[in-house]
Amino acid sequence: MDKRPTSPHIQIYRWNISSLTSIMHRASGVALYFAVIIVCWYIVHYAYQINIGTNEDKCDCWSKSIMKVAFISSIFIITSALYYHFFNGIRHLFWDIDKGFDPKTSKINGYLVIFLAAFFTIMTIAISFYLKTY
Amino acid sequence: MKKIKIAPSTKTGALHWIHQRVSAVAMIPLVIWLCISGVQIAQDPEGYLPVFFAYPFNAVMSILLISASLYHGSLGMRVIIEDYISNKMKMHFYIMFIHFLSISTAIAGILAIIRLHLIG
Repeated sequence: MDKRPTSPHIQIYRWNISSLTSIMHRASGVALYFAVIIVCWYIVHYAYQINIGTNEDKCDCWSKSIMKVAFISSIFIITSALYYHFFNGIRHLFWDIDKGFDPKTSKINGYLVIFLAAFFTIMTIAISFYLKTY
Repeated sequence: MKKIKIAPSTKTGALHWIHQRVSAVAMIPLVIWLCISGVQIAQDPEGYLPVFFAYPFNAVMSILLISASLYHGSLGMRVIIEDYISNKMKMHFYIMFIHFLSISTAIAGILAIIRLHLIG
Protein backbone atom coordinates (compact mmCIF):
# COMPACT_ATOMS: atom_id res chain seq x y z
CA MET A 1 0.00 0.00 0.00
CA ASP A 2 2.75 2.44 0.95
CA LYS A 3 4.90 1.43 -2.05
CA ARG A 4 2.62 3.23 -4.51
CA PRO A 5 4.38 5.87 -6.59
CA THR A 6 3.69 9.57 -6.20
CA SER A 7 2.22 11.17 -9.30
CA PRO A 8 3.76 13.38 -11.82
CA HIS A 9 7.52 13.00 -11.80
CA ILE A 10 8.19 16.38 -13.31
CA GLN A 11 11.95 15.80 -13.56
CA ILE A 12 11.70 13.07 -16.20
CA TYR A 13 8.92 14.42 -18.42
CA ARG A 14 9.50 16.48 -21.53
CA TRP A 15 7.66 19.77 -21.20
CA ASN A 16 4.69 20.29 -23.50
CA ILE A 17 1.63 22.51 -23.43
CA SER A 18 -0.73 20.02 -21.76
CA SER A 19 1.60 19.21 -18.85
CA LEU A 20 2.48 22.90 -18.50
CA THR A 21 -1.18 23.96 -18.25
CA SER A 22 -1.89 21.11 -15.83
CA ILE A 23 0.94 21.93 -13.41
CA MET A 24 0.17 25.65 -13.68
CA HIS A 25 -3.47 24.90 -12.82
CA ARG A 26 -2.33 23.19 -9.61
CA ALA A 27 0.21 25.88 -8.72
CA SER A 28 -2.28 28.69 -9.31
CA GLY A 29 -4.88 26.79 -7.28
CA VAL A 30 -2.56 26.53 -4.28
CA ALA A 31 -1.61 30.21 -4.62
CA LEU A 32 -5.28 31.24 -4.79
CA TYR A 33 -6.18 29.10 -1.76
CA PHE A 34 -3.61 30.88 0.41
CA ALA A 35 -4.58 34.23 -1.13
CA VAL A 36 -8.21 33.66 -0.10
CA ILE A 37 -7.05 32.77 3.44
CA ILE A 38 -4.94 35.95 3.68
CA VAL A 39 -7.67 38.19 2.22
CA CYS A 40 -10.26 36.73 4.63
CA TRP A 41 -8.08 37.44 7.66
CA TYR A 42 -7.37 40.91 6.29
CA ILE A 43 -11.15 41.53 6.13
CA VAL A 44 -11.40 40.33 9.76
CA HIS A 45 -8.60 42.73 10.74
CA TYR A 46 -10.28 45.54 8.81
CA ALA A 47 -13.73 44.92 10.31
CA TYR A 48 -12.60 44.94 13.93
CA GLN A 49 -10.41 48.04 14.05
CA ILE A 50 -11.90 50.82 16.13
CA ASN A 51 -12.37 53.68 13.65
CA ILE A 52 -12.53 52.32 10.14
CA GLY A 53 -10.32 54.16 7.67
CA THR A 54 -8.82 56.64 10.14
CA ASN A 55 -5.83 54.82 11.63
CA GLU A 56 -3.63 55.37 8.58
CA ASP A 57 -0.08 56.18 9.77
CA LYS A 58 1.33 59.19 7.99
CA CYS A 59 5.04 58.20 7.99
CA ASP A 60 7.11 58.49 4.81
CA CYS A 61 9.51 55.70 5.73
CA TRP A 62 11.21 53.11 3.52
CA SER A 63 9.20 50.19 4.88
CA LYS A 64 6.01 51.70 3.52
CA SER A 65 7.34 51.96 -0.05
CA ILE A 66 8.64 48.37 0.13
CA MET A 67 5.21 47.25 1.34
CA LYS A 68 3.60 49.15 -1.53
CA VAL A 69 5.83 47.42 -4.11
CA ALA A 70 5.17 44.03 -2.48
CA PHE A 71 1.43 44.74 -2.45
CA ILE A 72 1.26 45.74 -6.11
CA SER A 73 3.37 42.77 -7.26
CA SER A 74 1.30 40.33 -5.21
CA ILE A 75 -1.88 41.87 -6.67
CA PHE A 76 -0.40 41.27 -10.14
CA ILE A 77 0.53 37.64 -9.36
CA ILE A 78 -2.83 36.86 -7.74
CA THR A 79 -4.78 38.49 -10.59
CA SER A 80 -2.93 36.47 -13.20
CA ALA A 81 -3.34 33.26 -11.15
CA LEU A 82 -7.06 33.97 -10.77
CA TYR A 83 -7.62 34.56 -14.50
CA TYR A 84 -5.50 31.56 -15.45
CA HIS A 85 -7.30 29.25 -13.01
CA PHE A 86 -10.67 30.65 -14.14
CA PHE A 87 -10.11 30.07 -17.86
CA ASN A 88 -8.35 26.73 -17.42
CA GLY A 89 -11.15 25.65 -15.06
CA ILE A 90 -13.71 26.42 -17.77
CA ARG A 91 -11.53 24.34 -20.14
CA HIS A 92 -11.63 21.49 -17.61
CA LEU A 93 -15.44 21.77 -17.37
CA PHE A 94 -15.69 21.52 -21.16
CA TRP A 95 -13.45 18.45 -21.03
CA ASP A 96 -15.84 16.91 -18.49
CA ILE A 97 -18.76 17.18 -20.92
CA ASP A 98 -16.47 15.63 -23.58
CA LYS A 99 -15.79 18.70 -25.69
CA GLY A 100 -12.35 19.71 -26.99
CA PHE A 101 -10.48 16.78 -25.47
CA ASP A 102 -8.76 15.46 -28.60
CA PRO A 103 -5.02 16.32 -28.70
CA LYS A 104 -5.16 18.89 -31.51
CA THR A 105 -8.04 20.95 -30.05
CA SER A 106 -6.72 20.76 -26.50
CA LYS A 107 -3.33 22.03 -27.68
CA ILE A 108 -5.00 25.05 -29.29
CA ASN A 109 -7.16 25.50 -26.15
CA GLY A 110 -4.07 25.50 -23.95
CA TYR A 111 -2.43 28.33 -25.87
CA LEU A 112 -5.78 30.16 -25.95
CA VAL A 113 -6.13 29.89 -22.16
CA ILE A 114 -2.63 31.29 -21.56
CA PHE A 115 -3.27 34.12 -24.02
CA LEU A 116 -6.66 34.99 -22.48
CA ALA A 117 -5.23 34.96 -18.95
CA ALA A 118 -2.34 37.28 -19.93
CA PHE A 119 -4.67 39.57 -21.90
CA PHE A 120 -7.27 39.89 -19.13
CA THR A 121 -4.58 40.44 -16.46
CA ILE A 122 -2.96 43.26 -18.41
CA MET A 123 -6.36 44.79 -19.28
CA THR A 124 -7.53 44.68 -15.64
CA ILE A 125 -4.34 46.27 -14.30
CA ALA A 126 -4.42 48.90 -17.06
CA ILE A 127 -8.09 49.77 -16.44
CA SER A 128 -7.45 50.02 -12.69
CA PHE A 129 -4.53 52.43 -13.21
CA TYR A 130 -6.51 54.42 -15.79
CA LEU A 131 -9.58 54.84 -13.58
CA LYS A 132 -7.94 55.54 -10.22
CA THR A 133 -8.76 58.90 -8.74
CA TYR A 134 -6.33 59.28 -5.85
CA MET B 1 -7.18 -15.90 -6.88
CA LYS B 2 -5.80 -12.87 -5.15
CA LYS B 3 -8.30 -10.58 -3.49
CA ILE B 4 -8.34 -7.08 -4.92
CA LYS B 5 -7.43 -4.45 -2.40
CA ILE B 6 -9.42 -1.21 -2.75
CA ALA B 7 -7.48 1.95 -1.96
CA PRO B 8 -9.15 4.15 0.69
CA SER B 9 -9.51 7.12 -1.62
CA THR B 10 -11.72 5.21 -4.09
CA LYS B 11 -14.67 4.98 -1.70
CA THR B 12 -15.85 8.60 -1.85
CA GLY B 13 -13.99 9.77 -4.95
CA ALA B 14 -17.06 10.27 -7.18
CA LEU B 15 -18.83 12.51 -4.69
CA HIS B 16 -15.61 14.52 -4.21
CA TRP B 17 -15.30 14.92 -7.98
CA ILE B 18 -18.92 16.07 -8.36
CA HIS B 19 -18.64 18.55 -5.46
CA GLN B 20 -15.48 20.01 -7.01
CA ARG B 21 -17.26 20.57 -10.34
CA VAL B 22 -20.43 21.98 -8.77
CA SER B 23 -18.46 24.48 -6.68
CA ALA B 24 -16.42 25.40 -9.78
CA VAL B 25 -19.60 26.13 -11.77
CA ALA B 26 -20.98 28.13 -8.83
CA MET B 27 -17.86 30.27 -8.73
CA ILE B 28 -17.98 31.41 -12.40
CA PRO B 29 -20.44 34.31 -11.75
CA LEU B 30 -18.84 35.01 -8.36
CA VAL B 31 -15.37 35.45 -9.89
CA ILE B 32 -16.78 37.78 -12.57
CA TRP B 33 -18.36 39.85 -9.76
CA LEU B 34 -15.02 39.80 -7.86
CA CYS B 35 -13.06 41.14 -10.84
CA ILE B 36 -15.57 43.95 -11.54
CA SER B 37 -15.74 45.02 -7.88
CA GLY B 38 -11.93 44.75 -7.52
CA VAL B 39 -11.51 47.29 -10.33
CA GLN B 40 -14.23 49.40 -8.69
CA ILE B 41 -12.47 49.35 -5.28
CA ALA B 42 -9.07 50.13 -6.83
CA GLN B 43 -10.41 53.50 -8.04
CA ASP B 44 -10.67 54.86 -4.49
CA PRO B 45 -9.92 52.26 -1.78
CA GLU B 46 -10.12 54.59 1.20
CA GLY B 47 -13.48 56.03 0.18
CA TYR B 48 -15.10 52.91 -1.20
CA LEU B 49 -13.89 50.10 1.08
CA PRO B 50 -15.73 51.22 4.27
CA VAL B 51 -19.11 51.28 2.47
CA PHE B 52 -18.48 48.40 0.06
CA PHE B 53 -20.11 45.70 2.21
CA ALA B 54 -23.04 47.96 3.17
CA TYR B 55 -24.63 47.12 -0.19
CA PRO B 56 -26.64 43.90 0.32
CA PHE B 57 -25.64 42.51 -3.08
CA ASN B 58 -21.93 42.87 -2.33
CA ALA B 59 -22.33 41.31 1.13
CA VAL B 60 -24.26 38.31 -0.25
CA MET B 61 -21.86 37.77 -3.15
CA SER B 62 -18.78 38.01 -0.92
CA ILE B 63 -20.18 35.54 1.63
CA LEU B 64 -21.05 33.13 -1.20
CA LEU B 65 -17.59 33.59 -2.71
CA ILE B 66 -15.82 32.92 0.60
CA SER B 67 -17.85 29.76 1.24
CA ALA B 68 -17.57 28.40 -2.31
CA SER B 69 -13.88 29.24 -2.78
CA LEU B 70 -12.79 27.77 0.57
CA TYR B 71 -14.84 24.62 -0.07
CA HIS B 72 -13.41 24.27 -3.58
CA GLY B 73 -9.95 25.10 -2.24
CA SER B 74 -10.02 22.52 0.54
CA LEU B 75 -11.18 19.84 -1.93
CA GLY B 76 -8.36 20.78 -4.30
CA MET B 77 -5.72 20.94 -1.56
CA ARG B 78 -6.86 17.50 -0.42
CA VAL B 79 -6.19 16.08 -3.90
CA ILE B 80 -2.75 17.71 -4.03
CA ILE B 81 -1.84 16.43 -0.55
CA GLU B 82 -3.02 12.91 -1.46
CA ASP B 83 -0.88 13.03 -4.63
CA TYR B 84 2.39 14.32 -3.23
CA ILE B 85 2.59 13.10 0.37
CA SER B 86 2.98 9.32 0.56
CA ASN B 87 3.32 9.06 4.35
CA LYS B 88 -0.25 8.17 5.47
CA MET B 89 0.09 9.75 8.92
CA LYS B 90 1.42 13.05 7.55
CA MET B 91 -1.15 13.00 4.75
CA HIS B 92 -4.10 12.75 7.12
CA PHE B 93 -2.57 15.37 9.40
CA TYR B 94 -2.22 17.87 6.54
CA ILE B 95 -5.74 17.15 5.21
CA MET B 96 -7.17 17.71 8.70
CA PHE B 97 -5.13 20.92 9.07
CA ILE B 98 -6.42 22.24 5.73
CA HIS B 99 -10.02 21.47 6.73
CA PHE B 100 -9.69 23.23 10.09
CA LEU B 101 -7.97 26.22 8.48
CA SER B 102 -10.68 26.51 5.79
CA ILE B 103 -13.61 26.23 8.20
CA SER B 104 -12.22 28.70 10.76
CA THR B 105 -11.26 31.19 8.04
CA ALA B 106 -14.70 30.95 6.43
CA ILE B 107 -16.52 31.53 9.72
CA ALA B 108 -14.29 34.45 10.74
CA GLY B 109 -14.52 36.07 7.29
CA ILE B 110 -18.30 35.75 7.09
CA LEU B 111 -18.68 37.20 10.59
CA ALA B 112 -16.46 40.16 9.65
CA ILE B 113 -18.50 40.81 6.51
CA ILE B 114 -21.74 40.75 8.53
CA ARG B 115 -20.19 43.29 10.92
CA LEU B 116 -19.07 45.54 8.05
CA HIS B 117 -22.52 45.18 6.48
CA LEU B 118 -24.25 46.27 9.68
CA ILE B 119 -21.98 49.22 10.61
CA GLY B 120 -20.99 50.36 7.07
